[in-house]
Amino acid sequence: MAEASPRARLVIALLLAFGIASVQGLAVLPWVIALAVAVVLACGHSRLVLRRMRGPAALALGLALVLPLISGGAVLAQLGPLTLRLEGLQAAALIAGRLLAIVAVTLALLAPLTPLQLVAGLRGLRLPALMSDLALLTLRYLDEVRTDLRRAQLARQLRGGRGGWHALPDHARLLATSLIRAQARSERLWAAMRLRGYGAGLAPPLAPLQARDWAAITGAAILACGVIWLDRIL
Amino acid sequence: MHLPDGIVPVDMALAGYAASAGLVALALHRIKALPDPQAEIPRVAMLTTVFFAASLIAVPVPPASVHLMLAGLMGVMLGWFALPAIMVGLFLQAMLFGHGGITALGLNGLILGAPALLAFGLWRQIGGRWPDVAAFLAGSGAVLAALALFAAIVLAGLPAVIDAGAERMALLVLIAAHLPLALAEGVIVMTLLRVLRRVEPRLVPHG
Repeated sequence: MAEASPRARLVIALLLAFGIASVQGLAVLPWVIALAVAVVLACGHSRLVLRRMRGPAALALGLALVLPLISGGAVLAQLGPLTLRLEGLQAAALIAGRLLAIVAVTLALLAPLTPLQLVAGLRGLRLPALMSDLALLTLRYLDEVRTDLRRAQLARQLRGGRGGWHALPDHARLLATSLIRAQARSERLWAAMRLRGYGAGLAPPLAPLQARDWAAITGAAILACGVIWLDRIL
Repeated sequence: MHLPDGIVPVDMALAGYAASAGLVALALHRIKALPDPQAEIPRVAMLTTVFFAASLIAVPVPPASVHLMLAGLMGVMLGWFALPAIMVGLFLQAMLFGHGGITALGLNGLILGAPALLAFGLWRQIGGRWPDVAAFLAGSGAVLAALALFAAIVLAGLPAVIDAGAERMALLVLIAAHLPLALAEGVIVMTLLRVLRRVEPRLVPHG
Protein backbone atom coordinates (compact mmCIF):
# COMPACT_ATOMS: atom_id res chain seq x y z
CA MET A 1 0.00 0.00 0.00
CA ALA A 2 2.90 2.34 0.77
CA GLU A 3 3.90 2.12 -2.92
CA ALA A 4 0.44 2.83 -4.36
CA SER A 5 -0.15 5.91 -6.54
CA PRO A 6 -2.22 8.84 -5.18
CA ARG A 7 -5.18 7.78 -7.35
CA ALA A 8 -5.08 4.22 -5.99
CA ARG A 9 -4.69 5.53 -2.42
CA LEU A 10 -7.89 7.57 -2.77
CA VAL A 11 -9.81 4.53 -4.04
CA ILE A 12 -8.37 2.33 -1.26
CA ALA A 13 -9.25 4.94 1.40
CA LEU A 14 -12.84 5.13 0.13
CA LEU A 15 -13.24 1.33 -0.03
CA LEU A 16 -11.88 0.76 3.48
CA ALA A 17 -13.70 3.76 4.97
CA PHE A 18 -17.07 2.63 3.63
CA GLY A 19 -16.36 -0.98 4.63
CA ILE A 20 -15.66 0.15 8.22
CA ALA A 21 -18.64 2.54 8.23
CA SER A 22 -20.97 -0.35 7.42
CA VAL A 23 -20.11 -2.19 10.67
CA GLN A 24 -23.16 -2.49 12.94
CA GLY A 25 -22.06 -5.02 15.55
CA LEU A 26 -19.54 -4.77 18.36
CA ALA A 27 -18.17 -8.28 17.72
CA VAL A 28 -16.34 -7.18 14.59
CA LEU A 29 -14.94 -3.99 16.14
CA PRO A 30 -11.62 -5.58 17.34
CA TRP A 31 -11.05 -6.82 13.75
CA VAL A 32 -11.76 -3.34 12.39
CA ILE A 33 -9.32 -1.75 14.83
CA ALA A 34 -6.69 -4.39 13.97
CA LEU A 35 -7.23 -3.59 10.28
CA ALA A 36 -6.78 0.15 10.92
CA VAL A 37 -3.58 -0.46 12.92
CA ALA A 38 -2.24 -2.74 10.16
CA VAL A 39 -2.93 -0.09 7.49
CA VAL A 40 -1.22 2.61 9.59
CA LEU A 41 1.85 0.39 10.12
CA ALA A 42 1.94 -0.69 6.46
CA CYS A 43 1.85 2.91 5.21
CA GLY A 44 4.42 4.25 7.71
CA HIS A 45 4.07 7.84 9.00
CA SER A 46 2.38 6.58 12.20
CA ARG A 47 3.53 9.67 14.15
CA LEU A 48 1.90 11.98 11.61
CA VAL A 49 -1.30 9.95 11.83
CA LEU A 50 -1.31 10.05 15.64
CA ARG A 51 -0.69 13.79 15.68
CA ARG A 52 -3.57 14.49 13.29
CA MET A 53 -5.90 12.16 15.19
CA ARG A 54 -6.00 14.36 18.29
CA GLY A 55 -9.19 16.16 17.23
CA PRO A 56 -11.16 13.03 16.25
CA ALA A 57 -9.84 11.27 19.40
CA ALA A 58 -11.22 14.11 21.56
CA LEU A 59 -14.60 13.77 19.82
CA ALA A 60 -14.57 9.98 20.34
CA LEU A 61 -13.72 10.51 24.01
CA GLY A 62 -16.59 12.98 24.37
CA LEU A 63 -19.01 10.44 22.87
CA ALA A 64 -17.63 7.69 25.11
CA LEU A 65 -18.16 9.86 28.19
CA VAL A 66 -21.62 11.18 27.34
CA LEU A 67 -23.53 8.39 25.58
CA PRO A 68 -23.34 5.77 28.42
CA LEU A 69 -24.79 8.36 30.81
CA ILE A 70 -27.71 9.58 28.69
CA SER A 71 -28.97 6.57 26.79
CA GLY A 72 -30.00 2.96 27.25
CA GLY A 73 -32.02 0.97 29.77
CA ALA A 74 -29.89 -1.68 31.49
CA VAL A 75 -28.04 -0.12 34.43
CA LEU A 76 -24.39 -1.17 34.72
CA ALA A 77 -23.31 0.97 37.64
CA GLN A 78 -24.46 3.89 39.77
CA LEU A 79 -21.77 6.56 40.26
CA GLY A 80 -23.36 9.04 42.66
CA PRO A 81 -25.98 10.95 40.66
CA LEU A 82 -24.75 9.39 37.37
CA THR A 83 -26.05 6.11 35.95
CA LEU A 84 -23.88 4.11 33.59
CA ARG A 85 -26.02 2.20 31.05
CA LEU A 86 -25.10 -0.80 28.90
CA GLU A 87 -26.76 0.18 25.60
CA GLY A 88 -25.25 3.66 25.73
CA LEU A 89 -21.82 2.17 26.38
CA GLN A 90 -22.23 -0.21 23.41
CA ALA A 91 -23.39 2.60 21.10
CA ALA A 92 -20.49 4.80 22.23
CA ALA A 93 -17.96 2.01 21.62
CA LEU A 94 -19.36 1.32 18.14
CA ILE A 95 -19.47 4.96 17.02
CA ALA A 96 -16.09 5.87 18.54
CA GLY A 97 -14.46 2.70 17.15
CA ARG A 98 -15.77 3.32 13.62
CA LEU A 99 -14.80 7.01 13.78
CA LEU A 100 -11.22 6.37 14.93
CA ALA A 101 -10.68 3.45 12.53
CA ILE A 102 -11.92 5.43 9.49
CA VAL A 103 -9.86 8.50 10.41
CA ALA A 104 -6.72 6.39 11.01
CA VAL A 105 -7.07 4.57 7.67
CA THR A 106 -7.80 7.80 5.75
CA LEU A 107 -4.90 9.68 7.34
CA ALA A 108 -2.46 6.79 6.91
CA LEU A 109 -3.22 6.60 3.20
CA LEU A 110 -3.72 10.28 2.31
CA ALA A 111 -1.87 12.45 4.85
CA PRO A 112 1.62 11.61 3.48
CA LEU A 113 0.60 12.91 0.02
CA THR A 114 1.56 16.45 -0.95
CA PRO A 115 -1.35 18.71 -1.93
CA LEU A 116 -0.24 18.46 -5.58
CA GLN A 117 -0.30 14.64 -5.43
CA LEU A 118 -3.73 14.74 -3.80
CA VAL A 119 -5.13 16.93 -6.58
CA ALA A 120 -3.43 14.76 -9.23
CA GLY A 121 -5.14 11.75 -7.64
CA LEU A 122 -8.53 13.48 -7.76
CA ARG A 123 -7.96 14.43 -11.40
CA GLY A 124 -7.06 10.81 -12.13
CA LEU A 125 -10.43 9.75 -10.74
CA ARG A 126 -12.11 11.91 -13.41
CA LEU A 127 -13.16 14.64 -11.01
CA PRO A 128 -14.42 17.53 -13.21
CA ALA A 129 -11.49 19.75 -14.24
CA LEU A 130 -13.22 22.77 -12.71
CA MET A 131 -13.17 21.14 -9.27
CA SER A 132 -9.59 19.84 -9.44
CA ASP A 133 -8.38 23.28 -10.65
CA LEU A 134 -10.32 24.89 -7.79
CA ALA A 135 -8.66 22.53 -5.31
CA LEU A 136 -5.20 23.18 -6.74
CA LEU A 137 -5.50 26.98 -6.68
CA THR A 138 -7.10 26.97 -3.23
CA LEU A 139 -4.23 24.89 -1.84
CA ARG A 140 -1.67 27.07 -3.63
CA TYR A 141 -2.88 30.31 -2.01
CA LEU A 142 -4.34 29.07 1.30
CA ASP A 143 -1.28 29.67 3.49
CA GLU A 144 -0.70 33.13 2.03
CA VAL A 145 -4.32 34.27 2.46
CA ARG A 146 -4.51 32.77 5.96
CA THR A 147 -1.34 34.61 7.02
CA ASP A 148 -2.65 37.88 5.54
CA LEU A 149 -5.95 37.51 7.41
CA ARG A 150 -4.21 36.70 10.70
CA ARG A 151 -1.87 39.68 10.27
CA ALA A 152 -4.81 41.99 9.58
CA GLN A 153 -6.64 40.67 12.65
CA LEU A 154 -3.56 41.19 14.82
CA ALA A 155 -3.10 44.72 13.44
CA ARG A 156 -6.73 45.48 14.32
CA GLN A 157 -6.17 44.27 17.89
CA LEU A 158 -2.94 46.27 18.23
CA ARG A 159 -4.73 49.44 17.11
CA GLY A 160 -7.16 48.91 19.99
CA GLY A 161 -10.00 47.37 17.97
CA ARG A 162 -13.26 46.97 19.84
CA GLY A 163 -14.21 43.59 21.32
CA GLY A 164 -17.40 41.55 21.60
CA TRP A 165 -20.35 42.20 19.30
CA HIS A 166 -18.96 45.61 18.33
CA ALA A 167 -16.03 43.84 16.64
CA LEU A 168 -18.24 42.12 14.05
CA PRO A 169 -18.47 45.05 11.57
CA ASP A 170 -14.67 45.39 11.80
CA HIS A 171 -14.28 41.70 10.96
CA ALA A 172 -16.68 42.13 8.05
CA ARG A 173 -14.64 45.06 6.67
CA LEU A 174 -11.43 43.05 7.12
CA LEU A 175 -12.95 40.16 5.19
CA ALA A 176 -14.22 42.55 2.49
CA THR A 177 -10.69 43.91 2.05
CA SER A 178 -9.34 40.37 1.64
CA LEU A 179 -12.01 39.58 -0.96
CA ILE A 180 -11.23 42.76 -2.95
CA ARG A 181 -7.52 41.87 -2.86
CA ALA A 182 -8.36 38.30 -3.94
CA GLN A 183 -10.39 39.62 -6.88
CA ALA A 184 -7.46 41.77 -8.05
CA ARG A 185 -5.04 38.86 -7.67
CA SER A 186 -7.35 36.50 -9.57
CA GLU A 187 -7.28 38.82 -12.60
CA ARG A 188 -3.46 38.67 -12.69
CA LEU A 189 -3.59 34.92 -12.10
CA TRP A 190 -5.99 34.40 -15.02
CA ALA A 191 -3.71 36.40 -17.33
CA ALA A 192 -0.72 34.28 -16.23
CA MET A 193 -2.67 31.03 -16.69
CA ARG A 194 -3.69 32.02 -20.23
CA LEU A 195 -0.08 32.87 -21.11
CA ARG A 196 0.98 29.39 -19.94
CA GLY A 197 -1.57 27.79 -22.26
CA TYR A 198 -4.34 27.02 -19.74
CA GLY A 199 -7.49 25.77 -21.47
CA ALA A 200 -5.71 24.96 -24.75
CA GLY A 201 -5.82 21.20 -24.12
CA LEU A 202 -2.10 20.97 -23.33
CA ALA A 203 -2.51 18.91 -20.14
CA PRO A 204 -0.56 15.61 -20.26
CA PRO A 205 -2.68 12.43 -20.68
CA LEU A 206 -3.41 10.40 -17.56
CA ALA A 207 -0.97 7.58 -16.83
CA PRO A 208 -2.73 4.20 -16.49
CA LEU A 209 -2.80 2.48 -13.10
CA GLN A 210 0.18 0.16 -12.51
CA ALA A 211 -0.12 -3.54 -11.61
CA ARG A 212 0.79 -2.77 -7.97
CA ASP A 213 -2.05 -0.19 -7.84
CA TRP A 214 -4.55 -2.77 -9.09
CA ALA A 215 -3.20 -5.30 -6.57
CA ALA A 216 -3.59 -2.80 -3.69
CA ILE A 217 -7.12 -1.81 -4.81
CA THR A 218 -8.17 -5.45 -5.13
CA GLY A 219 -6.70 -6.19 -1.68
CA ALA A 220 -8.60 -3.25 -0.17
CA ALA A 221 -11.86 -4.34 -1.85
CA ILE A 222 -11.41 -7.87 -0.44
CA LEU A 223 -10.68 -6.47 3.04
CA ALA A 224 -13.74 -4.16 2.90
CA CYS A 225 -15.98 -7.05 1.76
CA GLY A 226 -14.44 -9.22 4.48
CA VAL A 227 -15.32 -6.66 7.16
CA ILE A 228 -18.93 -6.48 5.89
CA TRP A 229 -19.17 -10.30 5.73
CA LEU A 230 -17.74 -10.71 9.26
CA ASP A 231 -20.23 -8.14 10.54
CA ARG A 232 -23.10 -10.17 9.06
CA ILE A 233 -22.01 -13.55 10.48
CA LEU A 234 -20.63 -12.63 13.93
CA MET B 1 -20.42 22.23 12.05
CA HIS B 2 -19.17 19.07 10.40
CA LEU B 3 -20.64 15.60 10.63
CA PRO B 4 -17.73 13.24 11.47
CA ASP B 5 -17.12 9.75 10.11
CA GLY B 6 -18.84 6.78 11.72
CA ILE B 7 -21.84 8.63 13.22
CA VAL B 8 -24.51 7.86 10.63
CA PRO B 9 -25.18 4.49 8.93
CA VAL B 10 -23.40 3.74 5.68
CA ASP B 11 -26.60 3.86 3.57
CA MET B 12 -27.22 7.43 4.73
CA ALA B 13 -23.62 8.36 3.94
CA LEU B 14 -24.01 6.90 0.44
CA ALA B 15 -27.34 8.71 -0.03
CA GLY B 16 -25.53 11.92 0.99
CA TYR B 17 -22.91 11.29 -1.71
CA ALA B 18 -25.66 10.73 -4.29
CA ALA B 19 -27.55 13.89 -3.28
CA SER B 20 -24.40 16.03 -3.28
CA ALA B 21 -23.30 14.60 -6.63
CA GLY B 22 -26.73 15.49 -8.05
CA LEU B 23 -26.49 19.06 -6.75
CA VAL B 24 -22.93 19.48 -8.03
CA ALA B 25 -23.90 18.04 -11.44
CA LEU B 26 -26.76 20.55 -11.64
CA ALA B 27 -24.39 23.37 -10.67
CA LEU B 28 -21.77 22.29 -13.24
CA HIS B 29 -24.48 22.13 -15.92
CA ARG B 30 -25.52 25.72 -15.09
CA ILE B 31 -21.87 26.83 -15.01
CA LYS B 32 -21.18 25.33 -18.46
CA ALA B 33 -23.97 27.48 -19.86
CA LEU B 34 -22.05 30.65 -18.86
CA PRO B 35 -20.26 32.55 -21.68
CA ASP B 36 -16.68 31.75 -20.51
CA PRO B 37 -16.75 29.49 -17.43
CA GLN B 38 -12.98 28.85 -17.44
CA ALA B 39 -12.28 32.55 -16.97
CA GLU B 40 -14.22 32.39 -13.71
CA ILE B 41 -12.03 29.67 -12.18
CA PRO B 42 -9.23 31.91 -10.78
CA ARG B 43 -11.76 34.35 -9.30
CA VAL B 44 -13.81 31.55 -7.71
CA ALA B 45 -10.64 29.85 -6.43
CA MET B 46 -9.26 33.03 -4.87
CA LEU B 47 -12.58 33.86 -3.20
CA THR B 48 -12.92 30.24 -2.01
CA THR B 49 -9.44 30.50 -0.50
CA VAL B 50 -10.50 33.61 1.45
CA PHE B 51 -13.72 31.91 2.66
CA PHE B 52 -11.75 28.80 3.63
CA ALA B 53 -9.06 30.82 5.47
CA ALA B 54 -11.68 33.02 7.19
CA SER B 55 -13.59 29.97 8.43
CA LEU B 56 -10.39 28.75 10.15
CA ILE B 57 -10.01 31.97 12.17
CA ALA B 58 -11.99 32.35 15.41
CA VAL B 59 -14.20 35.45 15.65
CA PRO B 60 -15.22 36.59 19.15
CA VAL B 61 -18.98 36.24 19.60
CA PRO B 62 -19.74 36.69 23.32
CA PRO B 63 -19.62 34.68 25.51
CA ALA B 64 -17.22 32.59 23.38
CA SER B 65 -15.54 32.71 19.99
CA VAL B 66 -16.83 30.97 16.87
CA HIS B 67 -15.65 29.84 13.46
CA LEU B 68 -17.72 31.40 10.69
CA MET B 69 -19.57 29.06 8.33
CA LEU B 70 -19.94 31.55 5.44
CA ALA B 71 -22.18 29.26 3.34
CA GLY B 72 -24.66 32.11 2.79
CA LEU B 73 -21.95 34.54 1.70
CA MET B 74 -20.52 31.93 -0.69
CA GLY B 75 -23.97 31.44 -2.20
CA VAL B 76 -24.45 35.19 -2.69
CA MET B 77 -20.99 35.85 -4.17
CA LEU B 78 -20.31 32.65 -6.10
CA GLY B 79 -23.79 31.63 -7.23
CA TRP B 80 -23.73 28.14 -8.81
CA PHE B 81 -19.97 28.00 -8.29
CA ALA B 82 -20.63 27.82 -4.53
CA LEU B 83 -21.49 24.09 -4.71
CA PRO B 84 -18.24 22.82 -6.28
CA ALA B 85 -16.32 25.30 -4.11
CA ILE B 86 -17.96 23.97 -0.92
CA MET B 87 -17.27 20.34 -1.90
CA VAL B 88 -13.62 21.16 -2.59
CA GLY B 89 -13.34 23.08 0.69
CA LEU B 90 -14.90 20.23 2.69
CA PHE B 91 -12.61 17.66 1.08
CA LEU B 92 -9.53 19.74 1.88
CA GLN B 93 -10.73 20.39 5.45
CA ALA B 94 -11.19 16.64 5.98
CA MET B 95 -7.77 15.83 4.53
CA LEU B 96 -5.71 18.70 5.97
CA PHE B 97 -7.38 19.46 9.30
CA GLY B 98 -9.43 16.37 10.17
CA HIS B 99 -12.73 18.34 10.17
CA GLY B 100 -15.60 16.20 8.90
CA GLY B 101 -14.65 12.96 7.21
CA ILE B 102 -14.35 11.04 3.99
CA THR B 103 -17.57 9.00 4.39
CA ALA B 104 -19.53 12.04 5.64
CA LEU B 105 -18.33 14.27 2.77
CA GLY B 106 -21.58 13.90 0.81
CA LEU B 107 -23.80 14.70 3.80
CA ASN B 108 -21.61 17.64 4.83
CA GLY B 109 -21.79 18.90 1.24
CA LEU B 110 -25.57 18.77 1.49
CA ILE B 111 -25.59 20.50 4.92
CA LEU B 112 -23.62 23.49 3.59
CA GLY B 113 -24.44 23.36 -0.13
CA ALA B 114 -28.23 23.49 0.08
CA PRO B 115 -28.21 26.60 2.38
CA ALA B 116 -25.72 28.27 0.02
CA LEU B 117 -28.10 27.70 -2.89
CA LEU B 118 -31.01 29.03 -0.82
CA ALA B 119 -28.99 32.17 -0.03
CA PHE B 120 -28.16 32.56 -3.74
CA GLY B 121 -31.85 32.30 -4.66
CA LEU B 122 -32.88 34.73 -1.94
CA TRP B 123 -30.23 37.27 -2.99
CA ARG B 124 -31.30 37.03 -6.64
CA GLN B 125 -34.94 37.55 -5.73
CA ILE B 126 -34.73 40.45 -3.29
CA GLY B 127 -31.05 41.54 -3.22
CA GLY B 128 -31.67 44.33 -5.73
CA ARG B 129 -34.60 45.89 -3.85
CA TRP B 130 -33.69 45.33 -0.19
CA PRO B 131 -29.97 44.50 -0.17
CA ASP B 132 -29.40 44.83 3.59
CA VAL B 133 -32.40 42.66 4.48
CA ALA B 134 -31.47 40.08 1.85
CA ALA B 135 -27.83 40.01 3.01
CA PHE B 136 -28.78 39.55 6.68
CA LEU B 137 -31.29 36.83 5.83
CA ALA B 138 -28.81 35.08 3.51
CA GLY B 139 -26.11 35.07 6.21
CA SER B 140 -28.14 34.06 9.23
CA GLY B 141 -30.69 31.99 7.27
CA ALA B 142 -27.93 29.82 5.80
CA VAL B 143 -26.61 29.05 9.31
CA LEU B 144 -30.11 28.16 10.53
CA ALA B 145 -30.82 26.01 7.46
CA ALA B 146 -27.49 24.19 7.92
CA LEU B 147 -28.31 23.63 11.60
CA ALA B 148 -31.74 22.24 10.72
CA LEU B 149 -30.25 19.85 8.15
CA PHE B 150 -27.51 18.78 10.57
CA ALA B 151 -30.06 18.10 13.33
CA ALA B 152 -32.36 16.18 10.98
CA ILE B 153 -29.51 13.99 9.68
CA VAL B 154 -28.17 13.26 13.18
CA LEU B 155 -31.67 12.43 14.49
CA ALA B 156 -32.28 10.08 11.57
CA GLY B 157 -28.84 8.51 11.69
CA LEU B 158 -27.98 7.82 15.33
CA PRO B 159 -28.62 4.25 16.59
CA ALA B 160 -32.15 3.56 17.80
CA VAL B 161 -30.80 2.48 21.19
CA ILE B 162 -29.98 6.09 22.07
CA ASP B 163 -32.75 7.66 24.08
CA ALA B 164 -34.80 9.92 21.78
CA GLY B 165 -35.44 12.47 24.55
CA ALA B 166 -31.75 12.79 25.40
CA GLU B 167 -30.90 13.00 21.71
CA ARG B 168 -33.41 15.82 21.17
CA MET B 169 -32.14 17.64 24.27
CA ALA B 170 -28.52 17.43 23.06
CA LEU B 171 -29.53 18.77 19.64
CA LEU B 172 -31.54 21.61 21.22
CA VAL B 173 -28.49 22.60 23.27
CA LEU B 174 -26.38 22.47 20.08
CA ILE B 175 -28.87 24.65 18.18
CA ALA B 176 -29.15 27.15 21.06
CA ALA B 177 -25.35 27.34 21.20
CA HIS B 178 -25.26 28.18 17.47
CA LEU B 179 -27.92 30.94 17.53
CA PRO B 180 -25.32 33.66 18.30
CA LEU B 181 -23.36 32.40 15.26
CA ALA B 182 -26.46 32.83 13.06
CA LEU B 183 -26.88 36.41 14.29
CA ALA B 184 -23.15 37.15 13.92
CA GLU B 185 -23.06 35.80 10.35
CA GLY B 186 -26.10 37.89 9.46
CA VAL B 187 -24.39 41.06 10.73
CA ILE B 188 -21.07 40.19 9.04
CA VAL B 189 -22.64 39.35 5.65
CA MET B 190 -24.79 42.51 5.75
CA THR B 191 -21.82 44.79 6.57
CA LEU B 192 -19.50 43.04 4.13
CA LEU B 193 -21.90 43.22 1.18
CA ARG B 194 -22.60 46.88 1.98
CA VAL B 195 -18.85 47.59 1.69
CA LEU B 196 -18.46 45.53 -1.49
CA ARG B 197 -21.46 47.13 -3.22
CA ARG B 198 -19.84 50.52 -2.64
CA VAL B 199 -16.17 49.66 -3.34
CA GLU B 200 -16.16 46.68 -5.74
CA PRO B 201 -19.67 46.01 -7.09
CA ARG B 202 -18.33 43.40 -9.57
CA LEU B 203 -17.95 41.05 -6.61
CA VAL B 204 -21.68 41.15 -5.88
CA PRO B 205 -23.17 40.07 -9.21
CA HIS B 206 -26.90 40.21 -8.52
CA GLY B 207 -27.03 43.11 -6.06
